[in-house]
Amino acid sequence: MKKGRRRISRAARWGMVAAAAALAVLAVSPGICQRHGEDLFRQIGTRSLIPLEDWIDQGIDWVAITFMDFFDTVKYSINKINSSLLGFFEFFPVFGIPLGEKALAVPLLAILIVPYLWWVGSAGTGIFGFASLWLVANLGLWPETLATASLTLTSAFIALLLGIPLGILAGRFDMVETTVRPVLDFMQTLPVFVYLIPAVILFGLGPAPGVVATVIFALPPAVRLTSLGIRGVPKELVEAGEAFGCNDLKLLLKVQLPMARPSIMAGVNQTIMLSLSMVVIAALIGAGGLGGEVVRSIQRMLVGKGFVAGIAVVFLAIILDRATRTLGSHHRKTS
Amino acid sequence: MAGIRAKGVYKIFGNRPEAALELLDQGKTKGEVQAETGQVVGVQNVSFELESGSLFVIMGLSGSGKSTLLRCINRLVEPTAGEIVIEAEEGDIEIASLSRKALRRVREKKIAMIFQHFALFPYRTVLSNATFGLEIQGMGKKERSRKGMEILELVGLKEWADSYPDQLSGGMQQRVGLARALASEGEILLMDEPFSALDPLIRVYMQTELVRLQQEIKRTILVVSHDLDEALKLGDRIAIMEDGRIVQAGTPENIIVNPRTEYVAKFVEQADATGVLTARTIAKSVSVTSERPRELQAQKAKAPYFVMDEDLICCMDENHRPVTCFRNGKALKVKGLDSSLDDADLCDVVFCAKEDTSVRELMEARLKSSDNPFIVLSSQGKFRGIITEHEILRGILEKGRTDLEASEGEREGES
Repeated sequence: MKKGRRRISRAARWGMVAAAAALAVLAVSPGICQRHGEDLFRQIGTRSLIPLEDWIDQGIDWVAITFMDFFDTVKYSINKINSSLLGFFEFFPVFGIPLGEKALAVPLLAILIVPYLWWVGSAGTGIFGFASLWLVANLGLWPETLATASLTLTSAFIALLLGIPLGILAGRFDMVETTVRPVLDFMQTLPVFVYLIPAVILFGLGPAPGVVATVIFALPPAVRLTSLGIRGVPKELVEAGEAFGCNDLKLLLKVQLPMARPSIMAGVNQTIMLSLSMVVIAALIGAGGLGGEVVRSIQRMLVGKGFVAGIAVVFLAIILDRATRTLGSHHRKTS
Repeated sequence: MAGIRAKGVYKIFGNRPEAALELLDQGKTKGEVQAETGQVVGVQNVSFELESGSLFVIMGLSGSGKSTLLRCINRLVEPTAGEIVIEAEEGDIEIASLSRKALRRVREKKIAMIFQHFALFPYRTVLSNATFGLEIQGMGKKERSRKGMEILELVGLKEWADSYPDQLSGGMQQRVGLARALASEGEILLMDEPFSALDPLIRVYMQTELVRLQQEIKRTILVVSHDLDEALKLGDRIAIMEDGRIVQAGTPENIIVNPRTEYVAKFVEQADATGVLTARTIAKSVSVTSERPRELQAQKAKAPYFVMDEDLICCMDENHRPVTCFRNGKALKVKGLDSSLDDADLCDVVFCAKEDTSVRELMEARLKSSDNPFIVLSSQGKFRGIITEHEILRGILEKGRTDLEASEGEREGES
């Protein structure tokens, strides 16, 4: 009873304070306008009073110069991973079947992917994988598709390399979780294009800034779902692990990670999908690939070319999704 | 083998346990402490001693602190104060003062645990689950499989070694949990409501299984339970907890016959006491005299001592051992409860029960035999008392509480 009454009176007090404040603002603002003319009134809210822009500019400049060597190393590593992956993809030849003046393309990768997709999915998935890669190659977008695929996988690889360990820490320590969560929220909600600007300043043009921006964008689900998975392990199972003498590492390896596997693999899948969508956007700063085609089509208003590149992205997305989606379920025979 | 000794164990949940401890010392209750300090009292001032190889049941409603107490023993929950000692062969182990590493050794080798919802690892086969403890200990794969199969055979799941837990029924899953606990050969088994997630029929079966297994393995077992019938069936001794304290501890019969508080009495009311109450408790005491009863004047029977109760007269030798009985002038033979007889003889027999014969056994005997009273004998065969149908019924309904004879047995076994 007593508590309830106090709460009401507190709400009433705040209401009165708010009303008084509103009245004060209303009373004062015409006065300001009268004194400074109507110009100032129009300017309210349109002129920056806090120079956050300048601070960020200066901050980025300072970071770019101070940690130049570090960024160069990162850039070099990213380019290395990306070019190795691309080299690996390009290692598989595209066979040609002569067809008049042109040649029907049959990429070896399109054939090799069938048994894998069949294994993780169904025969239909395998057939779809072959058909879509074959189509993409015969739309003349094979090199761009490979470039986008390698950029995507490079970004996803780095994002997972950072995200899963961070997720494990966040899953095990509340302090990490509470620190990391708002940062992840920030990373996910900041408009994606915004990352591109500092990325260019820090890493120059080319694939590296694209990959970095993509990593930032694709990291959160890996962290979140890993943490969620580890936190979701039933308390009794953790207790069972401890009761039989597990130390922290054994508990992680033998109980928490296996139990969290479905959730972690969902995170892997999400990270790859987000990477793909961001890699396309990263074409704005010269990341190339299918995104580059899309950007070029926008600049020249080429509807057909844009759609064709877009469709190739969709096919690639479906293949990457199917290839990683079912990894989370436990592969075992059931009765 | 290993016994357990606990003395003055407290567990306070919260950030200021000292404040709560102080208030408890001043005699405040759990609720008062929580209201004043915000600290939750899990376990307060619990002491018990547990002999090696015995089965101890901790009983209580949910929230009474029984699971917390159990977890204090292997420090899944850190006790706030108090002493818990495991009496191992190589010397006493003070649980609370162990380093993390030493604690892990103890958990690996000495104390195994069984969980309410089995806590099996779904991604492991039955065999791999059963050998989890051995794997943590670092035992090689081959040896661990061999040992795992032995244990699975013991719990009757050998054919299921390669299945996964979700392919098993609840009872089977808990047997895997039992196998996992037995495999590491810890002398102490902690069981946290091991059977309460099972169907009633399976539960009774598993309880019987555990009693049977215990004959074979002779571990020191602590069972947490909220089911008094289970506690009565399993426990050598039972402790009843309320608000974090042990309000009464003793043998099952002791608790049934002599509930010390209202709370215990409420628990006991619903229990099936027939398996627990003994002949000793319900027997009517009748004084032995050397004076020959008038009804026997006509008979030739010679005896130095007699007992008379209503229409039954029992003649005894100089060691108070019954020799013959008379009822309504008819001579009756005196036989042990376990002796086999033809139906024709039944009417001419008075059965002798031992002091620790349960009421259920008496009822079963009564069903099969005549309506002659039972004679209760001590382990040396001396006369102790008489049990008629009246005593049996009163024993069941009143849980033997009004009987003065019982007070002898009550004192032993109370802590």
